[in-house]
Amino acid sequence: MVLTIALYCLVFAMVLTLYRVAKGPTWGDRITALDFLTSNLAVLVVVVALKTGFTDLLDIALLFSILGFLSTVALARYLMNRRVIK
Amino acid sequence: MKQSLTLVFLLIPLAFAAEAETAQELTVQSNLIAELLILGGCFFILAAGIGMFRFPDFYTRLHASSKLVTLGGIGVFGGAAFAFLSLAATQRVLLTAVFFLLTAPLSGYMIARAGYLQGLKPYREDNSVDEWQACGAESES
Repeated sequence: MVLTIALYCLVFAMVLTLYRVAKGPTWGDRITALDFLTSNLAVLVVVVALKTGFTDLLDIALLFSILGFLSTVALARYLMNRRVIK
Repeated sequence: MKQSLTLVFLLIPLAFAAEAETAQELTVQSNLIAELLILGGCFFILAAGIGMFRFPDFYTRLHASSKLVTLGGIGVFGGAAFAFLSLAATQRVLLTAVFFLLTAPLSGYMIARAGYLQGLKPYREDNSVDEWQACGAESES
């Protein structure tokens, strides 16, 4: 019951953010929306692990968190000075 | 927009029916603290999604996304740490929560710095104060 309500909240937030990815006027809006999507995906995987009782999904949540942070930092650094590593 | 909302509300009874058929595993035991934490975290994440949809500016959208997702993620991970029975699952959820708490404000800071240095403007430029330019700091590349 609680987990189903939680899944609907998360998926509705992700749908609203997908609109911002498609519409967003500047690239900053798109990077913000992609950061939100990856963070939200990690939370969603944890809720699915709670719902199904399959605890191996928690490693996938940690992996999504790391990948979201690294991709956000790489995109921000690339769009700031056109290269990732100095 | 209204059609997608009606589609979401039509799909809700199907999910409750699917939940009744799922067999209860022994790895998860829900209690009151976990349910309250998960509901609070999902409320904050839903508020962040509505803020991403409605807010008028890059900086206000970044504000909604960064802060509310940090708070909601910590809530959901803390609730999951209460709900899992085995110690290994609890440790992994808490590790994910600590990593989330460290990196989510940092990525928001990186996006805001890149946006400022690329010259994105706030939506009310006449009322806002540019403190970085007032300090005389030059943009480091």
